[in-house]
Amino acid sequence: MALLEVENLSIGYHSQKGYIHAVEDVSFSLEAGKSLGFVGESGCGKTTLGMALMRLLPPNGVIREGRMLFEGNDLLKKSDEEMREIRWKKVAMIFQAAMNALNPVHRIEDQIAEALLTHDPMCSKEEAMKQVEDLFVFVGIPKDRMRDYPHQYSGGMKQRAIIAMALACRPALIIADEPTTALDVIVQDQILKEIKSLQELFKISIIFISHDISVVSDFCDDIGVMYAGQLVEYGDRQEVFTSPVHPYTKALLSSYPTVTGEKYKLEPIPGETPNLINQPSGCRFRHRCPSAGVSCKTESPVWLKLTPTHRAFCSSIR
Amino acid sequence: MGRFEIGSYEMSMEKLNKKSLNRSPRIARFRAGWAIYRQNLLGKIGLTLLVIFALMALCSFIPPLIDPMYQPMTGVDPDIAKSTGPSLRHWLGTDFMGRDILSQLLAGARVAFMVGVSAAFMSIVIGTTIGMIAGYMGKFVDTLLMRLADMIMVMPTLLVVLILSALFGQLNIWIIVLIIALFRWPGVSRVIRAQTLSLKQRPFIEAAKVAGASHMRIIFRHIMPNVLPLAFLYMTFRVTSAIIIEAALAFLGFGDPSTVSWGMMLQWVWKTGHMFKAPYWLLPPGICISLITLSFYMLGRAMDEVLDPRLRKEAETG
Amino acid sequence: MELTRYIGRRLIQIAIIFFVILTVLFLLFRLAPGDPVSRMVDPDMTPEDAEFLISQLGLDQPLGMQYLYYLKNFFTGNFGESFHYGQPVIEIIWARLPNTILLFTTAIILAALVGIFLGKIASWHKGETTDTLMTLGALVTHTVFLPWLGLILIWVFAYKLDWFPITGMLSEEVWLDPGAGIFTKLIDVLHHMILPLATLFFIHFGSYLLIMRSSMLETLKEDYILTARAKGLQEKVIRNHHAAPNAALPVVTSVGLSLAFSINGGALTETIFTWPGIGRELVMAVSQNDYPLAQASFLLIAIVVLLSNLVVDTLYAYLDPRIRY
Ligand SMILES: Nc1ncnc2c1ncn2[C@@H]1O[C@H](COP(=O)(O)OP(=O)(O)OP(=O)(O)O)[C@@H](O)[C@H]1O
Ligand SMILES: [Mg+2]
Repeated sequence: MALLEVENLSIGYHSQKGYIHAVEDVSFSLEAGKSLGFVGESGCGKTTLGMALMRLLPPNGVIREGRMLFEGNDLLKKSDEEMREIRWKKVAMIFQAAMNALNPVHRIEDQIAEALLTHDPMCSKEEAMKQVEDLFVFVGIPKDRMRDYPHQYSGGMKQRAIIAMALACRPALIIADEPTTALDVIVQDQILKEIKSLQELFKISIIFISHDISVVSDFCDDIGVMYAGQLVEYGDRQEVFTSPVHPYTKALLSSYPTVTGEKYKLEPIPGETPNLINQPSGCRFRHRCPSAGVSCKTESPVWLKLTPTHRAFCSSIR
Repeated sequence: MGRFEIGSYEMSMEKLNKKSLNRSPRIARFRAGWAIYRQNLLGKIGLTLLVIFALMALCSFIPPLIDPMYQPMTGVDPDIAKSTGPSLRHWLGTDFMGRDILSQLLAGARVAFMVGVSAAFMSIVIGTTIGMIAGYMGKFVDTLLMRLADMIMVMPTLLVVLILSALFGQLNIWIIVLIIALFRWPGVSRVIRAQTLSLKQRPFIEAAKVAGASHMRIIFRHIMPNVLPLAFLYMTFRVTSAIIIEAALAFLGFGDPSTVSWGMMLQWVWKTGHMFKAPYWLLPPGICISLITLSFYMLGRAMDEVLDPRLRKEAETG
Repeated sequence: MELTRYIGRRLIQIAIIFFVILTVLFLLFRLAPGDPVSRMVDPDMTPEDAEFLISQLGLDQPLGMQYLYYLKNFFTGNFGESFHYGQPVIEIIWARLPNTILLFTTAIILAALVGIFLGKIASWHKGETTDTLMTLGALVTHTVFLPWLGLILIWVFAYKLDWFPITGMLSEEVWLDPGAGIFTKLIDVLHHMILPLATLFFIHFGSYLLIMRSSMLETLKEDYILTARAKGLQEKVIRNHHAAPNAALPVVTSVGLSLAFSINGGALTETIFTWPGIGRELVMAVSQNDYPLAQASFLLIAIVVLLSNLVVDTLYAYLDPRIRY
């Protein structure tokens, strides 16, 4: 049985301008110990999806329908108290805005120990500190910086501290929402490697969110490509990366230079993302799609099963 | 192709905006602000109260026209030589000399507006100018002006006026207004300075500099229009503090002896030992000072909401 | 440690500010219209005494020398003699200072603590009746005219209900009674202090409540609050341990910034309740043209404000590690 199974999840926000369809009909599953990456451009609903998995949407956010089965139980049916116990103990999160994710008035060691102490009432303060020390070793921060406050850390160190915090309770799943966007390229690379090795070491599943498809394809076993709140292509890393099917995936792949060489031309994706309040009929990508046909305007796309592990949400192919 | 599309999108948005507003942007902005203001209950109460006080100030000219005994300062009821309760002749009663309390109260409203608005206006002019100069010039000028502001900020204005009146004798009401203005600008100048600092980074200031505009021109033509709304907001708060200081001064017996202010009325009740005997005399001036302060304060808070988009967001999500 | 360096830096700034105040006051007292000598020397003194005082204060010297005398006299605590009391000014203000500090600091601390506590609760119940009532109450107490509030409190609680003494700080019968213990005396002071304390407290706690409320609402939107939530902490812990310490910082700043304004209120309160403090002494000295006493009280009040500012800044640095380190 999969660790996490998400079925037909739709999420939206109430706003003054109307209801925003931020995530629509998303389904996927994740095996224990595996990693799954979501890519898509800004505003396509990646963070919304991650927050919904922790049930931490802002007050105006609603999960309209769908199921989120974690270890076989629907997270949407849990009470607030049950959910509180699952958070961090079972599912931890590394936030997009990691730079401000640490409380400025508390010591870093205390903030990490707090997670341990909250979820394990048997754990003593000394034990917790001992574990924090071990975590610092894992993520490569010198032990004598444990008692520092967040503002004394560099961006990279803060990110490491947050990773340490995420690992603290040995969760089954970590949701990493663009964990490295705020950092420079070299540190980015180091941190990604660290996350990867720690993931393998602790056999933790990861949902990795990024707008950079090359990072995701380096890092994850499976890839989900999102566009305007919808999943448009989903499959094994190798398949999506080497034989992309959806025109959007193709465009994304050609937008980024690869590390291995000038394989793709750098070329911005033309057009604007569609309005999430008044959705156009038919395929959402069709305005920007180079291969859009007449039917794309009226008919919504269907899932195309390419292999048992690879599917695409498009009607214009074949 | 892509860039062109984005450009045309922006252009169409602009056209749309122009069409839907179809008026000068300033009026449009005012209308938008007013729409938000109207939703604010406290703002509405404050404005209503202020209108009432303004009417009182306007009406202050009427009683002396009816009968000279209604002169607030010099008019004495020929039949009454002591404080009496409300009657048909004197709706709020008379003070210890037989002067009409209602006339005094109306005259007090005029003094309160006069003192409050003129002192606030002067301190805002000083504060805004100094704040803009400090923020725009930076370096030495900035340091000097801000140290000066720090220094004045720690001076208790009321006690300063007290000391000055000890040295220079009875102070005329306009001198009092001037002193209040001279001592209440630092708070404003700090806010305006911060605003100027952020404006300085904007391209249009850079453009004006390149075009060869003088410092004075940049400050007064380009920066000032952008900080004025904020300055205006602070003016409402300064009005309250000016009214309070003048009233307190008059209460202590150091006001301008030729004006009837609410503070002066309170001093008369207190000093002539009527405070336990004449609630009809003790209550009105105190209630008026408190209410006018409250209403300016509520006006300020409501305007704050109009000017601060962050608060609006709070209203949207919460 | 960094904190001591920070305090040291602030102390220097404060010393500079005070020095400027000292100098400006000197110039005002010497250059204001009228005779500076008659301003510092009681006209009713015997000529010999006056002569002595004039030479002591350097009033027969040129202005530059007078300034040096003035500085020396300030640092040796020689402020001349009060016209009204006929006593050295320093003795009078030393006797008044503790009373002011007792009343003023108790009121401000109490107001800040209650304001922070209630503001937290109001923010937590945002939009509910509790919140509306608290916000309205805070707005009203914050804007009520202080002397009037004082008079009303006296009228209701001292005159009508007779729960508290109308004025003063001590009752003679208690303090002159040799049998009265220290405890009885303390209770007596407290009994006198309740009304002035309540006046100052009411005027201040409202604004602290409002600041805490909005600061708390802002803080709850911060990313680290989301982290705390994701960590599975209880709402109570999030509110009290993660949000409140951050949200209280602007309140502390505001206490510091409004100190000068607060001391105005302190002087008014002392005057209304005839609380024998230094603010009331200043008011009386000004109305009696007792210049030496007025000058010294003003300087001392300035010192009180500046030092309280230092205390508030230190507290802020203590609460916010970003300043401390
Ligand atoms: N609190 C909110 N209220 C209203 N709309 C929101 C809210 N949060 C997000 N949205 C909207 O939902 C959509 C999806 O946002 P989301 O943050 O999930 O995007 P994202 O893919 O994470 O983007 P990015 O790469 O920029 O982080 C966007 O259109 C956004 O404007
Ligand atoms: Mg995001």
